[in-house]
Amino acid sequence: MTDKKSSILQGTLDLMVLKTLEQMGPLHGYGIARRIEQVGEDALVVNQGTIYLCLVRLGQKKWIESEWGTSENNRRAKFYALTPLGRKQLAAETENWQRVAGVMDRLLQPAE
Amino acid sequence: MSFFHTLMSKVRSYRNDDALDLELQEELEAHLAMAEEDFVRRGHGPSEARRLARIELGGVSQLRQAHRETRGLPWIDAYRLDIKLGVRMLRKSWGLTLIGGLAMAVVIAIGGGVFNLFHTVLGATVPLDEGDRIVALMTVDGRSGERSQPAWQDVERWQEMLSSVDEIGAFRTLSRPLGVDGPAPGAAPSLIAEMTPSGFELARVPARLGRYLVDEDASSSAEPVVVIGHGIWTRHFGGADTVIGRPLSLGTETYTVVGVMPEGFAFPVNHKFWIPLKPGDDGSDAASVFAFGRLAPGASVEQAQAEVAALGLLPAVEAPSAAAASGPALSPVVVPYTLGFVRVDGGDEKALAALMLTLVVLLLIPPCANIAILIYARTVTRQEEIAARYVLGASRGRIIAQLFAEVTVLALLSAAVALVFVQLGGEHLQQKLVLEGDAPFWIDFSHFSWTTVLFTGALAVLAAGIAGLLPAVQATGSLMDLGLRALGSRTGLRLGLTWTTLIVVQIALAVAVLPMAVSVSWGSLRPGILGPGFDADRFLTAELTLENGEAADPALRQELLRRLEAEPGFASMSFNPRLPGRESWAFVEIAESESDPFRPSGRGPVVIDFNTIDQAFLDTFEVELLGGRLLHAADGAPGRNAVLVNRTFAEHLSGWEPGQEILGRHLRFLDRSRDDEPVHGPWLEIVGVVGDLPANTTTRLVYHWADAPWAGAPGTQAPEATALSIQLHGDMEDAAARLRAVAADVDPALRLGDVLSLQEVYRRNQLDETLPAYALAGVTLSVLLLSAAGMYALMSFTVVRRRREIGIRSALGARPGRLLLDVFKRAFLQVAVGAGCGVTLAAVLSHLLPLQDMGAQEIPGIVPAAAVLMIGIGIAAALVTSRRGLKTEPTDALRQS
Repeated sequence: MTDKKSSILQGTLDLMVLKTLEQMGPLHGYGIARRIEQVGEDALVVNQGTIYLCLVRLGQKKWIESEWGTSENNRRAKFYALTPLGRKQLAAETENWQRVAGVMDRLLQPAE
Repeated sequence: MSFFHTLMSKVRSYRNDDALDLELQEELEAHLAMAEEDFVRRGHGPSEARRLARIELGGVSQLRQAHRETRGLPWIDAYRLDIKLGVRMLRKSWGLTLIGGLAMAVVIAIGGGVFNLFHTVLGATVPLDEGDRIVALMTVDGRSGERSQPAWQDVERWQEMLSSVDEIGAFRTLSRPLGVDGPAPGAAPSLIAEMTPSGFELARVPARLGRYLVDEDASSSAEPVVVIGHGIWTRHFGGADTVIGRPLSLGTETYTVVGVMPEGFAFPVNHKFWIPLKPGDDGSDAASVFAFGRLAPGASVEQAQAEVAALGLLPAVEAPSAAAASGPALSPVVVPYTLGFVRVDGGDEKALAALMLTLVVLLLIPPCANIAILIYARTVTRQEEIAARYVLGASRGRIIAQLFAEVTVLALLSAAVALVFVQLGGEHLQQKLVLEGDAPFWIDFSHFSWTTVLFTGALAVLAAGIAGLLPAVQATGSLMDLGLRALGSRTGLRLGLTWTTLIVVQIALAVAVLPMAVSVSWGSLRPGILGPGFDADRFLTAELTLENGEAADPALRQELLRRLEAEPGFASMSFNPRLPGRESWAFVEIAESESDPFRPSGRGPVVIDFNTIDQAFLDTFEVELLGGRLLHAADGAPGRNAVLVNRTFAEHLSGWEPGQEILGRHLRFLDRSRDDEPVHGPWLEIVGVVGDLPANTTTRLVYHWADAPWAGAPGTQAPEATALSIQLHGDMEDAAARLRAVAADVDPALRLGDVLSLQEVYRRNQLDETLPAYALAGVTLSVLLLSAAGMYALMSFTVVRRRREIGIRSALGARPGRLLLDVFKRAFLQVAVGAGCGVTLAAVLSHLLPLQDMGAQEIPGIVPAAAVLMIGIGIAAALVTSRRGLKTEPTDALRQS
């Protein structure tokens, strides 16, 4: 039996989080995790805890910034937002990813 | 850039760790609450929703730990913990801490001290404005690498033509007695810099009062003027402004004071008087001077070197008449100013420094290997702890890092103690330099630099690497596996062959080397502790030469002696090449025996000290005749070739006792400096044995008769008599002043140097020797302690390993004596083998090493005593550790199986 759920590739979680923040605007950790799961349509295994480690890494690189705020159900939560540096990084990472994905796609095409 | 952001962020997080922990906790609580609400909305019950939320988030404590590691600097925490554990282990194993720490401190101190010495001398910069751009311009012999001073005519040429060096000037040092109220020939000579006025511009230090020298002062028609130092101004002129314009005598010439330099100014070396250098005054432009200059803005030493090399030297200097035959290949060279005063054989200071530092690092190995044995033995006893940590997930690297950190803590503590030793040694050296009064003003050994601290720290880490890393790697390699199988039992452990061999070697070395080190230390320290054996304070001594540095001729010496004899309080006096106790050394070859008096013995050349003496010398110092006869006038006849030797010579070389025959045996001087076969002088007959002078010396002395033809090796020069010794009945200060006055009166060209009491001469001698002797004594003590600790570790390990057996046999009624003998049989065997090897090694080394040439004082029976001491320490260690072993309860022992 084949497991339909895939693990996240090493290094791609950072890109996912950056993209999520670009699309959704400032978001708390739980919101980011849920959004990635929703986009993945339950095909991705996301250990939600690792999101917080990823957020630390991105914050250290000044790609995202954080601020305490109030969530939609009136709960105090920490909100993360993309910085201009992070936006630039996202563009670069996206381009790189698309190039690699293209190469992988061509490589995995059945021979004609 | 993102690396920098990350690093800064990690540092900030490390400092706010607790606050960030709280923040994360709040964030995770919010996360769980939101997730729970989501699950409830999706139809789960509250408790199920809570459970699912937690599963999705993952383990909170692991996440908190991972978060801490990601955001902060986890390795700092790990090492902080290691260091904390290290300090705890040091406290627990205080014996190892004391012994290992002392041993490390001694070797690190020697290393740090040597580095400090080299760094201070070779790395010094003149403490003047842009002092690092001040250079010396010299000449270098292409063959020997030896640097020397250039001729004035070259300096003049450089002044005109060099563009990469500005403010070129020169100086030479004169030594003349200072007279404030007219000439004072009896005064002690002062150092005077005869310097081009450009030296003051180069130094960029304004005068404290008046002015410094200017170019007009150096013209041949100018009035003689002098600038004085701050100390002279305050001491001799009361610090009064009226000093400007006052006359001052230096030797027979009178100068007008035109300026006072500020406190601390001593450029170019350690001068207190400055007069203008008037080139050509001595009738020769080829006179050598010390040349200096400042690198032009933007110019480097390399550029200056290229420029002087292109200019070359003037032909007259390139082939001076004295060296014309061999034709030394002299060329100009530019070096940093302070290096211009450093004399190194071969001229390569960097190579010498590298060699010394390599030796220093090698010196670390023996004591650190000893400490490694102790650390290994201790690590072995901690096998359960190590195995348990391994089981709990610590990697082997992590455990090694912890063990290494423990030794590093010890090594760093030792380095701190070593720096105290370096400071004390530096102060000792500085005190000696100040006493001798010839230290350049930029040399200060009494303050070590940060570079020395860093070097000492690096030595400590290296020592920790040798002493800690090897046992840690070995112990974790073999023990973790063993420890896992034998948690709770120690029966499977063995102190491997490598380590037991090391212990045997260590004991052997201790027995062989300790007596030698003690003999050499005692030989150096004995004269200082026991004194010279006569009242050296009654003797006034001086070095007497002509102004040009040559020895005075015999007629002049005789005239001086004749005049001095008439002085009240001057009892007797003698002129010799060297003062007693400061003789020159040489190689001699000894003939085998009386039966064949002219066949060299097979023992090879022997180092001796020698002096030429006359009847006055023997009378002045009341030298006692122990056998044979003294030398007398008839021994001056060609072919008599008679010499005296001292008691130490006789005893060292033939086991001579008063009454036995050494008389009639022959010796001859050797010159071993030639590349080809050594050449030797004529055979000389030993006609008498005299007492040691000074007493307590370890030096073998040969006295040659002053009036006899020189009997040294062919090609060597007869030593000139320049050392004057006077036995006094009166006050030393008065006598010194009268000696100077009489000498100036006999011939103004006579120069008296080092007018000191003989006691003071010996005291300064001792300063030279005590530092190495104390260092050797420190090494000796640490070797002894390490050996003792090594044996204790061996015995202790033996008991630990066989505790179960001891307990069971003790319970079965075995007699303690028999039991201990069985248990310690192997350990005792190791100690005995080590001691036996040591005695043999000592016997071999005593034949191979020229210990007596190194100033060793033989101590009868010291080698067997060292062997007995080591065996005694072994037995004591066995008794102490066995008490612990015998106390083992049989039930405890069985439980350990």
